[in-house]
Amino acid sequence: MGPVARFIQGWALAGGVVLLLVVLMNAYSVIGSMFGAPFAGDFEMTQMGVAIAAFAFLPYCQISGSHVTADIFTSNASPVWIARFELLASIVAFAFACLLIWRMYAGMLNQKEYDYTTTILLVPHWWAFIPILMSLALWICASLITLRDAATRTLGR
Amino acid sequence: QEHTFKLHHLLSEKAPAHTQMLAPWAEKVAANSGGKVKIDIYPAMSLGGKPPELIQQARDGVVDIIWTVNGYTPGLFPRTEVFELPTVYTNDTVATNLAMRDMFESDLKQEYNGVEVMFLHVHAGQGIHMVDKATRKPEDFAGLKMRIPTRTGAWIIEALGASPVGMPVPALPQALAKKVVDGAFIPWEIIPPLKIQEQTKYQIEGADKVRFGTTTFQVSMNADRWNSLPEDVQKAFRDASDEAWVAQVGDIWRASDEFGIGLAVKAGNEHITLTQEETDAMNTALTPVVDRWVDEVSAKGIDGAALVDAARAAIAKHQQ
Amino acid sequence: MDALLIGFAGLFVLIGLIAIRMPIALSMILVGGIGVTILNGPAIFFSQLKTLAYGQFSIYDLSVVPMFVLMGNIASKAGLSRDLFRAANAWLGWAPGGVAMSAIAACAGFGSVCGSSLATASTMGQVALPELRRLNYSGALSTGTLAAGGVLGILIPPSIVLVIYAVIVEANIVTMFMAAMIPGLIAVVLFLITILIYVMINPESGPAGERPDRAEFISATVNLIPVLTIFGLVIGGIYFGYFNPTPAAAIGVFLVWIYGMARGFVKIPELRDALLETARTTGMIYLILLGAEMLKIFMSRGGVPQAMAEWMANSGLTPMTIMIILLVALIVLGCLMDSLSMILLAIPFFWPVLVEINGGDYVDAANAGFGMTTEDLKIWFGILALIVVELGLITPPVGMNVFVISAMAKDVPMIETFKGVMPFFMAEIVRVILLIAFPALTLWLPAYLSGG
Ligand code: NA
Ligand code: NA
Repeated sequence: MGPVARFIQGWALAGGVVLLLVVLMNAYSVIGSMFGAPFAGDFEMTQMGVAIAAFAFLPYCQISGSHVTADIFTSNASPVWIARFELLASIVAFAFACLLIWRMYAGMLNQKEYDYTTTILLVPHWWAFIPILMSLALWICASLITLRDAATRTLGR
Repeated sequence: QEHTFKLHHLLSEKAPAHTQMLAPWAEKVAANSGGKVKIDIYPAMSLGGKPPELIQQARDGVVDIIWTVNGYTPGLFPRTEVFELPTVYTNDTVATNLAMRDMFESDLKQEYNGVEVMFLHVHAGQGIHMVDKATRKPEDFAGLKMRIPTRTGAWIIEALGASPVGMPVPALPQALAKKVVDGAFIPWEIIPPLKIQEQTKYQIEGADKVRFGTTTFQVSMNADRWNSLPEDVQKAFRDASDEAWVAQVGDIWRASDEFGIGLAVKAGNEHITLTQEETDAMNTALTPVVDRWVDEVSAKGIDGAALVDAARAAIAKHQQ
Repeated sequence: MDALLIGFAGLFVLIGLIAIRMPIALSMILVGGIGVTILNGPAIFFSQLKTLAYGQFSIYDLSVVPMFVLMGNIASKAGLSRDLFRAANAWLGWAPGGVAMSAIAACAGFGSVCGSSLATASTMGQVALPELRRLNYSGALSTGTLAAGGVLGILIPPSIVLVIYAVIVEANIVTMFMAAMIPGLIAVVLFLITILIYVMINPESGPAGERPDRAEFISATVNLIPVLTIFGLVIGGIYFGYFNPTPAAAIGVFLVWIYGMARGFVKIPELRDALLETARTTGMIYLILLGAEMLKIFMSRGGVPQAMAEWMANSGLTPMTIMIILLVALIVLGCLMDSLSMILLAIPFFWPVLVEINGGDYVDAANAGFGMTTEDLKIWFGILALIVVELGLITPPVGMNVFVISAMAKDVPMIETFKGVMPFFMAEIVRVILLIAFPALTLWLPAYLSGG
């Protein structure tokens, strides 16, 4: 595993830690509400935390080939053809990740400009976009890695 | 037709907001334009996204027109929020809709960047739904858990000494049934779709239907789209959204609220109307909410106190 | 009309892309994005992308998905599967076919803390397969049992597919979980009966295991207490309404984690593995969700779901015929894609059809096409759809559960495994017929629990 791939895996783990924090916050809120002091912002913090975590998982999904495909029609295809299909899929992933980072950067500026916040704690939504844009940048890197791998294989290695 | 518009909103096509307000309004615009305008209504977020994204969709021109709840994007419409405050909104949907219309150009318009507002309106106001406790005084709420209706609604709950609990509206019946919350502040109009009468015993409101805050809504068009329209088409929209219309919208929401409470009473629930004294005591307890709001918007450079006074005066003017 | 044609063309392109191994999520994204661009120009699509993904990823109801995934992954590490199998074996193992029955019972138990079929199949496979092989169970019966038993991971609540269904049709997740309970238990019973019949016909395929001594019996049973406690708190808490699904799932993750740590089974490396596994599954699910939303936008703008609903409603077919056509369509689609993608892809088209022929959202049961309110139809159809999409996991050509178990049982040819699941497949068909014939099997429990 190269250094970039290792960083991508570490980033996914960081997303996992965010998910664990959301778990702990919810557990705390349940216990708190038994003793009459629920945490009013748990709802919106769960939404934001899970979104950040889910974006952090995308680059790792790309390098680990976790996105489901239907293999039924291509199960007898030659390895070179499979590599060509994978090359195409990597190109689409690369293009979409590039498009998304561009658009979500604009989205972040919008969120900041209009001051979109969560309802109760008034946490600005654009804060969440910072780790998310980082995740998308890593997704671009990840799709380049899978693209290179597939390209090598189309040449019959 | 020369002009087709996509109107996007979050509720089902069977909801009263769709059948009694948006659809008739769209027809009115079409008729005013002599058939030049056609408005296609897309209910239930069918053009994608989540409800808080509606306002951005209108700004970006993803859709042409939206109907949305201002409170889904807290902080975006701080001035309009004055009409959501308890003791500012009391019991009169028609007067409040007209007051918002009066104050729009002078006080509110500046916060609607990128959209052209067709009209603003409120629902009939937050009533109190209780599982098994008939709360008549502020002290009765001490230690209870109540569902948060809006941002300032959370302050109402705190001002009454109860704990605000956030949860999505569809989770409410279950939460009431198992007393995860002791009650909720929401309008009566929510009773039929969620069958709240089954989970609660008491529906409580102030004397003369006085409620404890409300929610503001907007119907708005993408600004560029609006500016590109010829004057006669703009006039068709303006005429369909005139004073008589916003008054009618007030009546529509009042009626669906009445339908809701009627259902609860028919199901054997107790509909409690507080005495004038009890109502005054509740409103006194809620004064800090208004103060808190004034303080908060002052930080944004908005003269909250003046807005509160102006809103009260404008509503009072239309109540006669 | 033009837009409608473009919409339908989009569906064909989608299938073509999926057929050439384009990840299903990316296929949906590509068709949705290009489709909207063709219909309404690029500006709309570009603008919507600014917040669409963030909006989808932050849907509150979906937050239970990564949590249930994580709970299942930690539970696999925490040794819950071993405890379940050991206890089931102490109770049932001595009978002919008893170890296979224990595996089914343990799968059902594991399914009660895990929301996914594959995770259940692979976890229980690791535990039960060596034991079945050691006792000379036939390759077909042992692998078939585990591949089929894995399906219980999704049929017994919690179930990720049900969460997604509930989010799409705006049903209450809790109600859906309640509705799945009795059908899930019926599946367990039918699977047990299947094994019983199987070993009656082929006694050599499922020899009786050893009878446990008293000490083993007691210790194995006592070992179940933690699993039962966690299940009781999480699912019991949800059913009886003490918490919403998300906090309940959080409590479940927390307890399984603490339990695993206390036993020394879940240390940092195991937690790390569980998190990475969760990352893979969650990322995969969320990207499909985004793709499905983009496809939905394209299809709504093209008017496809509306046209399909109208066309089916005016087709003159009886409601029940249409229901069966839709279920068969799901089984056929199951050859092509996984259950989750299928639910996300098909339900937005199928559900409006059913609402239309039932007579709208607020129809009385007496006047409805299916003789029930649309709310009830939503629950009933959800459970039926769940079962048929899960059948795809054990049927050729792509039966993911079969692949997972085959990969573990190197000495059993895959064709044997497919033969082994056939009886269970028949049991599932019996179950679907039962549930169609008696809607009360699905609808009674949610009505009873929310009424009481
Ligand atoms: Na399950
Ligand atoms: Na299959």
